[in-house]
Amino acid sequence: MADPTAFYEPAEDELLSSLAVPVQSYNPDSEADEYRRLQELEQHAYAQQQLMVAEQEQEQLQALEQVPEDVKRFLVLFHQAILENDLPTITNMYESGWNKLTQAHYSQNEWPEAELISPLVGNDQVFLTLYRELYFRHVYAKLQPTIDDRFQSYENICELFNYLLNSEGPVPLDLPIQWLWDMLDEFVYQFSSFASWRANPKNKNEEELEALAEAQHIWSCYSVLNVLYSLVQKSQINEQLKAEKEGKSPEEVAEIAGDYGSKPLYRNLGYFSLICLLRVHVLLGDPTLALQTMEHVDLSGGAFLTRITACHVTTYYHVGCAYMALGRWPDAIKTFISVLIFFIRMKQYHTRSYQYGSIAKQCERMYALLAICTTLSPGPSDESIMSIVKEHYADQLAILQRGGDEALETFKDLFLSASPKYLNVNPPPYEDPSALEAYLANPPIDATQRFLDLFISDVVAVKGVSNVRQLLKLYTSIDASKLVTFSQDEGDEEEVLQQLMVLKAASRTYAKGQAQDKLLDGERIVTNNLDFTIDGAMVHVEETTSHRRFAGFFIRNAEHSQRVFNTIKASPLPIQRKPATATTGAPQDKNEIKKTGAAWQPKRARVVTAAQ
Amino acid sequence: MTVAVPKKNLADWHSPETRPEVIHELIHGVDRYNPTNLPYMEEYLLSQIKEGQYDLFANLAILKLYQFNPQHSNPDIIIHILIKSLSSTVHGPDFNLSLGLLREPTAILHDIESDDESLSILVPYLTNLHDLIRTCQFTKFWTEFNGDSEAANILKSRFLPSHAHPIDDLRLQFSLSIASCFSSITLTQLSRWLNLNGSEVNEWIEKVGWTFEGEKAIIPKNGDNDVKAGVVKENVQLNQLTKLVAAAAY
Repeated sequence: MADPTAFYEPAEDELLSSLAVPVQSYNPDSEADEYRRLQELEQHAYAQQQLMVAEQEQEQLQALEQVPEDVKRFLVLFHQAILENDLPTITNMYESGWNKLTQAHYSQNEWPEAELISPLVGNDQVFLTLYRELYFRHVYAKLQPTIDDRFQSYENICELFNYLLNSEGPVPLDLPIQWLWDMLDEFVYQFSSFASWRANPKNKNEEELEALAEAQHIWSCYSVLNVLYSLVQKSQINEQLKAEKEGKSPEEVAEIAGDYGSKPLYRNLGYFSLICLLRVHVLLGDPTLALQTMEHVDLSGGAFLTRITACHVTTYYHVGCAYMALGRWPDAIKTFISVLIFFIRMKQYHTRSYQYGSIAKQCERMYALLAICTTLSPGPSDESIMSIVKEHYADQLAILQRGGDEALETFKDLFLSASPKYLNVNPPPYEDPSALEAYLANPPIDATQRFLDLFISDVVAVKGVSNVRQLLKLYTSIDASKLVTFSQDEGDEEEVLQQLMVLKAASRTYAKGQAQDKLLDGERIVTNNLDFTIDGAMVHVEETTSHRRFAGFFIRNAEHSQRVFNTIKASPLPIQRKPATATTGAPQDKNEIKKTGAAWQPKRARVVTAAQ
Repeated sequence: MTVAVPKKNLADWHSPETRPEVIHELIHGVDRYNPTNLPYMEEYLLSQIKEGQYDLFANLAILKLYQFNPQHSNPDIIIHILIKSLSSTVHGPDFNLSLGLLREPTAILHDIESDDESLSILVPYLTNLHDLIRTCQFTKFWTEFNGDSEAANILKSRFLPSHAHPIDDLRLQFSLSIASCFSSITLTQLSRWLNLNGSEVNEWIEKVGWTFEGEKAIIPKNGDNDVKAGVVKENVQLNQLTKLVAAAAY
């Protein structure tokens, strides 16, 4: 097991030292066993070994022959581009070349193993590690990863992070932000995929059980958090972001960032690590810590994280989920809506990206979560997005609003389909066979079920609210005893008054205001326009009405007409500046233009005179 | 004691004023994963209990450490944390946030090889109390609380005595809920919800700054119990008009 005291000791450069980074040991080809037996028979072991190495090399060369020419050329050029830190070329090869070749040659099987292609790249270990990162990502995305794949991909990514963090000084490498994001994103994905696979000891064969018993540290929560926190610390990203927010100059920020953090590679890795930490904390069921981690990250429209769509969507999804766990429905709604609006606008540019599918899926989940949140906290929200929610979840919404046990089932279904896949911190006790047996005989509630139960308890607590609210809508004042006769459940006056207190609380919450920049901050707000006061036993109902909103419409259209006007003005037709010269010698059709222009001419003339 | 008005914002919730600087540093850094800090954190919790203060985030950090180091789990501390989050809010997420970081009591006890069953007995009991509180079933809450069940007895004999004023904490929280709804309330109702008899109710009313009017308590206006029908008019901010103004300026 990884030493648990490993990563909170920020002892300079040794942050990852205890992280297991085993020697790469790849299974020799199937014939290798044969050779080994031959070797035992042979008396001259050394000579034989030489022979074996030679044969293996021969074999590898032969296998390399099999690799298609365009793939080989690609790898050589890719290696070259990375050596030269040629970002545009790397980006191009990473985003399009790799995917094209995958489609052409490797849609059903793995890319060639790193050992095989190492002669092509002069046995450059850094490149081979990066290559393996892509290799395993492809296995995870397109094929079924075996336990060996899972272990090796972990070892490989650790080797990569170890190289980045524990080399002497910052490494002379630069990679496009898309790749850096994908790398960390994949790291968390593989972790959660492994953790949920490991959480179920059933359907595992002997070999897998043995491997899991031995390799406790592999993909453990501790080691994953260790990597992410180490990247955050190395890059001084929190200090950097704080300094930027305080308006410090780039030089000052660079000084705070230090040797590592001032390099784009480290800064970006640190930044994306914060977002990955947000995710991991949400997955482990700690929403407050998740939001606290994002303390210094700017989430507004132009923020750095919006430069990568997948990152943008993931961040907002997890922030929204964290708000949901805190019962801050309006904040969750706002978060989901803002990213969904963005996604709809960006959609046209992204349909070809290979990640488009997973991004779209995450957005679909947010529509489902919106159905939940807007039921629990009804109120005005963006109409265009809500119309999509209504379109996709019409039946469910109808059931949710009706309430009752059926609604509870629907809440469950929506939550299960749309919530993050929660994880347990502690894996089953594979190392102890008797404990594992006990575990199997009496398996604990799995993480998702645990968080589903907590969510449902939130829902149950307010289940009577919508009925009482509907009832109050009909009155301006009503005696509590009269309400008792109307309420569906049998109950006395006290119970009705208690219900009313629940309704009151359900119409109030804390929400992050414009002036607050921490995600955890919030001000008390009223979320529903129906409100009431109880005087003794008399309930006085007050309903706040909102006027229709016109300004937005006028502003949008005024801006639109301004744009149209500017386009016309910028078009190549000659436009006369001075009315006096305009008429002289102007052809017939230009006169017409001048006439149509008359509508705006007075204003312009006025401005000109004012300027004089 | 203070006047019963809900907090305007969450600043005090995520960073209470009573939190010492070292604890703040600790829970905001990677040091929060260091189990050697557990004694300090637990000591801080005990001082919260003694002084009647509350720091949810520090308490969650303790539960997190237990999560990662099951062998260090201390069931008594866990129960104290749950009592704290139970008595500090009626509708807040605090209790469920704490539960979210806990496994089943039997698993926790198994890891530390303890045969003290009180955790297994108290967690469902406290969960039930929490459900009653958040649905404002205060009368039922007191019946459960004052009941003679094993859990109620363990809670009252073993855990509550170390807390400064747990019952008044609960009453204050309930009063907050009441004050947000009622502009006046009958004393009989109040005494049921707060579990106070005639003269105690009077004392309580004075304590939280309410007044009497015959058989009723009058609760001062606090923004929640004196709602007025309003009309929300459209409010256009200047920055929405920047483009228009800029376009008009030439």
